[in-house]
Amino acid sequence: MAHAFTSAGAKTSPTGSLVRRLLASSDFRAGFAEMLPACVGIAPFGLVCGVGAAAAGASWVAALGMSVIIFSGAAQVLAAQMLAAGAPLVVIVLTCFVLGLRFLMYSAAMAPYLKALPGRWQQALAFLLTDQAFAAAIRRFNAKDDPHGGARHFLGSGMALWLCWQITNMVGYFAGNLIPASWSLDFAVPLVFLALVAPLLRDTPTILAAVVAGVAVIALEGLPMKLNLIAAGVIGIVAGTIADFARERWTRR
Amino acid sequence: MDATLKLWVVIFAVGLLNYLSRLSFIAVFARRSMPPLLARALKFVPAAMLMALILPMIVAGPMAGNVVAFNPKIAAAVIAGVVAFFTRSSLWTIGTGMTALWLMQAMG
Repeated sequence: MAHAFTSAGAKTSPTGSLVRRLLASSDFRAGFAEMLPACVGIAPFGLVCGVGAAAAGASWVAALGMSVIIFSGAAQVLAAQMLAAGAPLVVIVLTCFVLGLRFLMYSAAMAPYLKALPGRWQQALAFLLTDQAFAAAIRRFNAKDDPHGGARHFLGSGMALWLCWQITNMVGYFAGNLIPASWSLDFAVPLVFLALVAPLLRDTPTILAAVVAGVAVIALEGLPMKLNLIAAGVIGIVAGTIADFARERWTRR
Repeated sequence: MDATLKLWVVIFAVGLLNYLSRLSFIAVFARRSMPPLLARALKFVPAAMLMALILPMIVAGPMAGNVVAFNPKIAAAVIAGVVAFFTRSSLWTIGTGMTALWLMQAMG
């Protein structure tokens, strides 16, 4: 059972045998296979990211660098747009950082399940912690009380999503150039984000956070260096938090 | 700064910060629990940041010009938003949103 872990921990074991052991693990294969339908779901998002990177003038190597290293659709699109708009480096990085703060939430929720694992497994799984992999991993960890099997399952699903992400990004990068501008394919970008944000709008504080951020980003459009994005995001987060406190106090009475 | 260099610095800086956020409570702060105020505020990061990202793409340019002139992107986005709310599917959202935009552009 603990085979894949001992080999991952021992520095002398060759990578080839680790891969072979992983492929032999039914948990790993189950996780990989389970994510294939989700790959269809993220395909439009990946395509859009590739198109966005091409529109920002990135070379294909840089576009691949974005999807491999950043590995977060929202951050990739945001970075590409701000680069195209000529925003300064520090503002781009800061804005993407605020957007990525949601990973703190996933990390905290995931931490108890990964406590028993070796450091290397924690570091590898953290890299693969995306919105979709998080949801699948939580399901599996709750279904069976088997942290090691669950970790291999997580690694399988995370790697499936990662592979699918690289492929769809590259297809988007190269195909995006072939599609005529009259198709308004750039409109698919906000649509992908709408698909992410609209289902969240089910309670008052979240709706308020979104509305306030939306109003603020337009109202502050005059700010230089695309600072309106991060400003609106922070204002929206504060508004949602205050509304959440207010609602709690209201329901307690 | 050279544009290519700037792009690569952004890639590595954003990639590193994203990774540290993902790793935070799994490894770095493994023994600490999240401060309650932070946990509360983080719930609103996706809704607020995504909305700030979406709106400028739909309402291009200063708001003043768009209130007067009919913008088919706003109408298509509203339709797509309703579809997204009920289906939670990116395929359906993109499908209806793009179709609505094409129809409105075809009708002029």
